[in-house]
Amino acid sequence: MSTSVSIPRPRRWDIPFCQESESPREMLDEDVDRVLGTAPFSELDADGFKKSLPLREILKNDTRILSLEQGDIVVRLGDWGNTAFFILNGSVRVEIEPPDAGLTATLPGRTPPQKKSLFQTVAQLWQNHREPEFRASPGMQAGEPAAGDAVGTRSDGAATRLFVQDVPAVLNEYRTVTIDEGHWFGELAALGRTPRTATVFADGPCELLEIRWQGLRDIMRHDRDGRLRAWIEGVFRERALSAFLRTETFFEDVSDDAMAELVEQVEFETYGNYDSPQPFRELAKQGAELHLENEPFVVRQGDYPNGVILIRSGLARLSEKHHHGHRTIGYLMPGQSYGISEISEGYQKQEAVPFRYSLTAIGYLNVVVVPTPVVEKLALGKQTSLPAAASPEPATPKSQESSDIDGFLLDFMVNGRFIQGTATMVIDLDRCTRCDDCVRACAVAHDNNPRFIRHGPIHGQYMFANACLHCSDPVCMIECPTGSIHRNERDGLIVITDQTCIGCAQCANNCPYDAIRMVEIRDDDGKFIVDEKNNRPLTQATKCDLCQQIPGGPACQRACPHDALQRIDMRMLETVEAALQP
Amino acid sequence: MNRRTRRRIRNGSILAFVAVVLVLVERLLEISHWRTAYLTGWLLFGMIVVLALYNFRKQLAIVPLGTSAGWLQFHIYAGLLTGVVFLLHVALRIPNGTFECVLAAAYAATFLSGIVGLAMSRSFPGRLTARGEEVLFERIPVYLKQLRDHVEKVVFKCAEASDTTAISDLYVNDLKSFFERPRNSFWHLVHSSRPRKRLLLAIQSQQRFLADDERDAMETITRQVQRKDDLDYQYALQGALKLWLFVHIPLTYGLLVLSIFHGLAACAYGGIS
Repeated sequence: MSTSVSIPRPRRWDIPFCQESESPREMLDEDVDRVLGTAPFSELDADGFKKSLPLREILKNDTRILSLEQGDIVVRLGDWGNTAFFILNGSVRVEIEPPDAGLTATLPGRTPPQKKSLFQTVAQLWQNHREPEFRASPGMQAGEPAAGDAVGTRSDGAATRLFVQDVPAVLNEYRTVTIDEGHWFGELAALGRTPRTATVFADGPCELLEIRWQGLRDIMRHDRDGRLRAWIEGVFRERALSAFLRTETFFEDVSDDAMAELVEQVEFETYGNYDSPQPFRELAKQGAELHLENEPFVVRQGDYPNGVILIRSGLARLSEKHHHGHRTIGYLMPGQSYGISEISEGYQKQEAVPFRYSLTAIGYLNVVVVPTPVVEKLALGKQTSLPAAASPEPATPKSQESSDIDGFLLDFMVNGRFIQGTATMVIDLDRCTRCDDCVRACAVAHDNNPRFIRHGPIHGQYMFANACLHCSDPVCMIECPTGSIHRNERDGLIVITDQTCIGCAQCANNCPYDAIRMVEIRDDDGKFIVDEKNNRPLTQATKCDLCQQIPGGPACQRACPHDALQRIDMRMLETVEAALQP
Repeated sequence: MNRRTRRRIRNGSILAFVAVVLVLVERLLEISHWRTAYLTGWLLFGMIVVLALYNFRKQLAIVPLGTSAGWLQFHIYAGLLTGVVFLLHVALRIPNGTFECVLAAAYAATFLSGIVGLAMSRSFPGRLTARGEEVLFERIPVYLKQLRDHVEKVVFKCAEASDTTAISDLYVNDLKSFFERPRNSFWHLVHSSRPRKRLLLAIQSQQRFLADDERDAMETITRQVQRKDDLDYQYALQGALKLWLFVHIPLTYGLLVLSIFHGLAACAYGGIS
């Protein structure tokens, strides 16, 4: 009796983007010709692309055309974006109200989390497959979005579209701006692995080219004169920089004119390669003493503060001199800043106050530097009293300059990049009885396949287990050719779609935490599914999905009888301190 | 005061309060000539049933029935409370019939196994963390075999290269049985390093009879003895943490069966009131 089933090895573009769930129509050759005849695609040098990755195939397989009607919602604020959009014709409206008062807050139309019902959850106990790593035949899974009160749904081919029911009322009530034909939007979230920053809906009938971020990245890589990349930098400065700066408390009240001046004067600085996971893996292999030596300094302790450093993406380490070395005293994540307290104090005393700590880039880091004179003029000059950050002791509201956590543990967490995790699995070994209830619960929740092992780096009593951290900047996604590993639009969890995973293992190789495992897949009879060409078993990537379909949250954490296992959001030191409190 | 101490004080206070109320109510009913043995008996039986449900909760790990840690806290303090209810039920006397004695012994064994399990669950994890590498229990036999093979290789190599039998004699007489399987579990459980010291002493005492190259081999063997001892330590403590549930849970089910017979007999021959 045969113990295996042969199928062709899955490859990139086996399932083109236009055939993914809810795609309205196919991407025909005529569509590709039409796109290739439109700027900026017509200006790209098609010969500059690799033979294995031609521009035409990228457009055919990584893009799709959306035909929208008045009010159709394209993206919603807060959703995690994996695609960018180019307006082929017509225009769209971008809502620019702040989120707490804006359209999105009142008319979300968001798909509610598709959790299993209580019965479905219980039924798993007897419905799980006996054979490990069962995979059904490839097929698309379409979710039915639920509509909010003022958001309707309509059919568009295979897709169900959400639309704003009363567009004129929305235009009257909320501030919006128009983006016209020939422009991009959504590229910052797609390329930056960040949530959408605004809700966008169609302003009349229009056609959009939606492109997967993998396709956009490939086009940018082969865009020899760098026009597309420069254009995107320009767009960020034009559209998103002021919004980004206003997230800082000391710039939130700056007038529009002053903000325009501010936008002109800020500088961008980048350290490391954004599109490569290598720095993480290389740094993770180094000893603790080598970490700081290999991290480029953004600012040095004792230097004159030439500006406020705002972290746009990546990770940075705050450290101070300690005898003949440096010790870590904190870390900064995107949206956090450093330097305002020194500048404020210097402004108050009318003398230069040097940086108290050094700031270094951990792997990739992109920062916005607001020069000191600009900060003094725009943010401090208008204040009758100094902001809270100006007092010498407290940390700035958005930075973390002090911690109650043991310094060695902090060093360990930063060196190991565990601070990236939004759901890092930390096991207190002084409480853990090694009963493996967590692993069993994980297996039951995932068709009898555990998605982590109780193993991983240990510091003192804490084990940082090899379970997906659901990183704030997931480098595992960088090389995925099909977009199978992606951020869940609803909550930003990093999940893998089995239907589009081709088993290339790029994600598993890129994950610095060994949290992604390649497994040999089987059919319903337990037979290995093998490549029909060479009979080698086909593999797929698997990882923790934080039990996104199970009501009640991660099964591992709920199953731990001794409160030893926790999933911790490491981005804020306060959360870590609270979680690790005995 | 840390989070767990606060929780301990809170739960302990609730337990003490409920225990005092139970004792007062029982005394009051006793004075009023109620047959409190029925009341405390049913209460005790109900509590044991609820406590036994924790094992089912563990099987239903993915069903949202509250956290296992929350259930365990309830299990611990409700389990302690059964001690009070049991003493009220037997009126602080030793039961007089054989069946009642067996039943009381089954309760005592279940209760004590719970206490021992709790003590182990609280003290062993820290000891496991402090000594040796973190290993998965199921992998320990594999590591033990690797160690044994490594040591035997060193011993055979020495025997072939040397004209004396000092190391092979030591291995045959003192180390072979040590490396054969997990050893000294009792000593590890009571946190004694006596067997380890004895073995190291036996090795030490041979050092003066060895040539230089044999001393290097002996150093290797010494390191492996220490690693084996650490693995034995992990095996003993992790094994005990797994084994005690195989005592506590069957005892609980046995107790439940005996309790049902006891209840039926009490109702049949003592009347229901």
